[in-house]
Amino acid sequence: MLLLLQALSARGRQWCHGYDIMKETGLLSGTLYPLLMRMADQGLIEAEWREPAQVGRPARHVYRLTTAGAAFAQTISDGQAVAPPKALFA
Amino acid sequence: MTLATCCLGYNRREWAQAMQAEFIEAGTASQKLGFAAGCLIAAWREMPRHAEGRLILVDHALALGVLLPAAFLQFACAIGMTGGPGGVYGVLALVGENDPYLVNAQAGAVPILLVLWLLLGATHLRLAWALLDRDRDRVVQAGSLVAAAAITLVIMVAVLRLRGAFLGPVIGTMIVELAFVVVTSRLHERVSAESYPARLTA
Repeated sequence: MLLLLQALSARGRQWCHGYDIMKETGLLSGTLYPLLMRMADQGLIEAEWREPAQVGRPARHVYRLTTAGAAFAQTISDGQAVAPPKALFA
Repeated sequence: MTLATCCLGYNRREWAQAMQAEFIEAGTASQKLGFAAGCLIAAWREMPRHAEGRLILVDHALALGVLLPAAFLQFACAIGMTGGPGGVYGVLALVGENDPYLVNAQAGAVPILLVLWLLLGATHLRLAWALLDRDRDRVVQAGSLVAAAAITLVIMVAVLRLRGAFLGPVIGTMIVELAFVVVTSRLHERVSAESYPARLTA
């Protein structure tokens, strides 16, 4: 989750695709998507549908950290002891 | 990807669509395969977390853990593979035991009893298949067939005045299975109403 938080945090308010995050972090889809789902449930990331760049392709999901997510990522990177949202580690 | 979509269920359908879209973007065939395998694992990991997924797991446990062994038990009992004078051989041994005047009728009925018993096993397989297909109409239909075959078997044994003790385990197992099926059907109705009320009313 730290990898994912770092990757999303580095992009600031910029949206990014799931496959790009996979390539950037080296996380596999089996790890990435459960994390994204859990983080979205916790309100740490927001997701949105984007029209495809090429005609005939399906719309893609894009993700970015919410304000709460960015604050959480900042706290983590500052090395402060935090109580992470329970569902992420359930 | 289709399997992953099914496993994610109705409540996570948006995530399933997101995975599908990214799957198309994945580069080579091997990357696509790896991506799809990961999505399937993710979907499996999600299953115990939502009611619909838990119900799918219960259906699989019931079909593979109860109905399938029960079907093979019926087949084994019918052809007398369970050890001792069981199945059709057991029935043949009982011919003429209670009433010597019924010997011909009892002997003539043995093939019908065997067919009925095998039919009972086959309907168990059909019930398991319908359960895994999540087709409630077919589950009800197959459950009714199981009950009908069992009742016919019991009636024939009673009419022919055969000692029905050999049917005890068969009928006992069947009652337990059908009770399980009824309970899971109730759960399905409840989960369906909670998970996607909009789809039910549409």
